[in-house]
Amino acid sequence: MATPYAAPIAVANARKPPSLPVVWAIAAAGLATAGAALALALASDDVSGIQIALLEWISVPYIAAGLIAWRSRPDSRLGVLMIAGGFTTAVSALAFADYAVPHTFGVVFDILPAVIFVHVYLAFPSGRLRSSFERWLVGAAYFSAIGLQLLKMALGGVGPHNLLEIAPRPDAAQTVESVQLVSISVICLIGIGVLASRRRRAGRPLRRSVALLIDSFALGLLMIAVLFLSGAFFDGFEFATIQRATLLVIGISPVAFLIGLLDARLARSAVGALFVELRADPSPAGLRDALARALRDPSLTLAYWLPEFETWADLEGRPMDLPAPGSGRSTTLIDRDGARMAALLHDPGLDDEPELLAAVGAAAGIALENGRLQAEQKAHLEEIKGSRARVIEAGQKERQRLERNLHDGAQQRLVALSLELSMLKRQLADDAPASERLEHARGEIAASLEELRAVARGLHPAVLSGHGLEVALQSIVAHSPAPVQLSVELEQRLPEQIEVAAYYVVSESLANIGKHAQATSVQIAVSRAGELVVVEVVDDGVGGADSEGGSGLRGLADRVEAHGGRLRVWSPPGGGTRVRAEMPCE
Amino acid sequence: MRVAIAEDSVLLREGLARLLGEAGFDVVGQCGTADDLLLKVRSYTPDVVIVDIRLPPTHSDEGLQAALEIRQKHPSVGVLVLSQYVEVGLALTLLADSAEGVGYLLKDRISDVDDFVAAVRRVADGGSALDPLIVSALISRQRADDPIARLTAREREVLELMAMGSSNQGIADALVITLRAVEKYVSSIFGKLGLPSSGSESRRVLAVLMFLRS
Repeated sequence: MATPYAAPIAVANARKPPSLPVVWAIAAAGLATAGAALALALASDDVSGIQIALLEWISVPYIAAGLIAWRSRPDSRLGVLMIAGGFTTAVSALAFADYAVPHTFGVVFDILPAVIFVHVYLAFPSGRLRSSFERWLVGAAYFSAIGLQLLKMALGGVGPHNLLEIAPRPDAAQTVESVQLVSISVICLIGIGVLASRRRRAGRPLRRSVALLIDSFALGLLMIAVLFLSGAFFDGFEFATIQRATLLVIGISPVAFLIGLLDARLARSAVGALFVELRADPSPAGLRDALARALRDPSLTLAYWLPEFETWADLEGRPMDLPAPGSGRSTTLIDRDGARMAALLHDPGLDDEPELLAAVGAAAGIALENGRLQAEQKAHLEEIKGSRARVIEAGQKERQRLERNLHDGAQQRLVALSLELSMLKRQLADDAPASERLEHARGEIAASLEELRAVARGLHPAVLSGHGLEVALQSIVAHSPAPVQLSVELEQRLPEQIEVAAYYVVSESLANIGKHAQATSVQIAVSRAGELVVVEVVDDGVGGADSEGGSGLRGLADRVEAHGGRLRVWSPPGGGTRVRAEMPCE
Repeated sequence: MRVAIAEDSVLLREGLARLLGEAGFDVVGQCGTADDLLLKVRSYTPDVVIVDIRLPPTHSDEGLQAALEIRQKHPSVGVLVLSQYVEVGLALTLLADSAEGVGYLLKDRISDVDDFVAAVRRVADGGSALDPLIVSALISRQRADDPIARLTAREREVLELMAMGSSNQGIADALVITLRAVEKYVSSIFGKLGLPSSGSESRRVLAVLMFLRS
C-alpha cells in the first residue's frame, strides 16, 4: 500500500523472491526436461500415451505452481519443494526410455517424486516441517525412496538396461522393493494422521480453498499408500488403473494451490476496499467490523498498546491480555514508526496469509492510531474518574470521622456537664441567685449542643450509616418545604458510598426546591433498575433550574459521576424540575 | 421502679444512674454494650431500660436493634431510646407497631431532670415519650390538603402534647386548664383529623402518630 500512512509491519522478511530471469530459466528448464522425457518415452514402444500424459499433468503444474509460490512467498520453502517435485516427476519419466543411460537415470528417480509430494503436503504452508517427528518421518521416506532404490537396482530388480546392476539377486531385490513400498505407504498413512490431528487442534481453515487444498493433500497421501501397497502385493491390470488414478489425484494439488493463491489475491483486493472505506471514515468505532470483513474473520478483536500504562487495552481503555501461544487464537502485531501500536487477535487460520494481515494492518494504520489514541484517552479518563472517586471517598471518610469525634467527645461531655449543673442546682435550691446562674449556664450549654448538633449533622448523617437510606430519607423528608411522597424500593442496603451519594441527591434537591421551586408537591423515588440505582426527585414548581451554573447541582453531578453514574436535570421554565441520578451498583 | 441503663459514655451513664437513684428508681443494671443490656433485661426484668442509640462495637445501630429486640421479646419492659440527633425516621421505626411503653428523646433532655424523670416513669408505666423536636417536625411537616391547618392554636398545642405522650392530666397541668377542657379539645381534634377517638392514651398517641407520618 503506497500511502503516506503506510506503517511498517512486523513480519519477518528474511528472503528475497527469485528474480525474473531465474524464474524464466527454471520454467524453460522444466519445459525442456518434460519435453525430453516425453520425446524419449514416445520413442519407446511399450509405453502408453496416457501414462506419459499423466506424468506431464503432474510435472508441469508443480513447476508452475512452485515458481509462483516462490515468487509470492519467498519466505516459504514450499515453492522450491514443489519445483523439485515437478522436475523429479519429469525425470522419472525417463525410465520409459529405451536407452540405458536415461533409463537408469529415470529409474533412480522412480520413487522420489512420491516422497517429495509427501514432504510438500506435510510442510504446507511454511515449507518447514513442524516437529522432529515429522522430520524423522520424511527423512525415513527419503531414505526409502533413494537408498533402498539404489540397493534394489544394485541387486538388479528393475529389468534390463539397468547400468547400476552389480549382483543380480532377483529374490532379494523383490524383498527390498516390498520393504520400500510398504514403508512409504505406512509413512503416508501416518501423514494422513498428522494432517487430521493438525485440523483437530487448529480447527478448519478459514478459507474454503485452503481446506480444499489440505483435503487434496490427504487424498494424495492415501492414493500413494494404496498404490505402493498394491505394487508390493498385487500386480496386473488393477495396478495400472490405481497408478493412473494416483497420478491424477497428485496433479490436483498444484491446481488447488493455484486456486488458493488466486483466492488470496482476491482477498487482498478487499484490502483496497477497506482502504477506501477507512480513508472516508478513519474513526475507530467501525474499525473492528471493517477489518473483520476484510479478513473474513468474524472473531477478530483489536488490542491497542498504551505505552504510558504499559498494557494492552481495548477501545474503551480497559486493560486486556494478548492470547497465549497455543490458546487457539493468533496475534499479529502492528507497529508504526518502529513503535508498538496495535495487535490483531485472529483465527489461527489467517496465519497462512501473512501478506493479507500485513496489507490490512497497513491500510488500517491511521484508523488504528486513532483507536489507540481513543483507548489511551479512555484509560486516562478512567484513571481520573477513579482518583475523583477516591478523593470524594476520602473526604467522606474524614467527615464521618469528625462527626464521630464530635458525637463521642464534645457532645457527650456537654450533655454530662449540663446534667451535672442540673443536679447542682437541685442541691442549691435555696440559693436563688446561684440557681439562676446555673440555669443560665445550662441554657448556654443547650445552645452549644444545638450548634454542635447542626455542625455534626452537616458533616455526616450518622443515621444513614447506622440505619440505611430509607430511615435517613424519612428524616429529611419530614423537613421538606413541600408535601412529599417518598418511595424507597430496595431489597437490601446499598454500598455506603452509593447510599451517601443518593442521600445528598435527595437532600440537595429538597434544599433547592425550598429555595427556588415554589412547589406544592414533591415525589422522591429510589429504586433499582438492573445494575443501576435510580434516585429521582420530581417537583411541580416553577422549573428553570440551572444544572451547570448552580454549584449545588454541579457538586451533586461530581459526586454521582465519581461513582460511574450520571446526573440529569430536566427543568423547563414553568414545568417543574426532575432530577435523576443513575449509579451503577452490583 | 427498676431501671437498666445502656450508655457507653461512663460519665453520662453514672450521671444518669445517680439522677434516677435520687429520683427513687432502683438502678438494677448499668452497662456499655447492647449485649450486656439484653443480658441484664433477661436477668432482672426491669420496668424500663434507657438505651443510647449508638453503642459499641460499630456505633451504628446496635442500640436501636437492642431496643427493638427488647420490645419484641419483653413487651412488659418499657424502652426509652436516647439520641444525639432528632431523626424522625428512627422515631417512626421505633414506634412502627405500637406506642406502648416506648420513648425517643434527645440526650439533652436528661438535664431537664423533672421532665426526664416523668418521661421515664411514663414509659415504665406503658405510656410513651416522644421528643418535642420530633413532634414538631411531624406536625409541621407539609401535607397536601393539610387538616392540621384547620386546628386552632390551642388545639395544636394539645395535639403536640398528646403526640409527646402526655396524659390528659399532663396536658391539663402543662397548659394550666381543666381536665374537662382537655377532653373537649381532644375530641374536637380527633373530629377535625377524622380519627376514631376511642382507646387508651397510648393507643391515642399511636393514632396521632399514624396520622402525622402519613
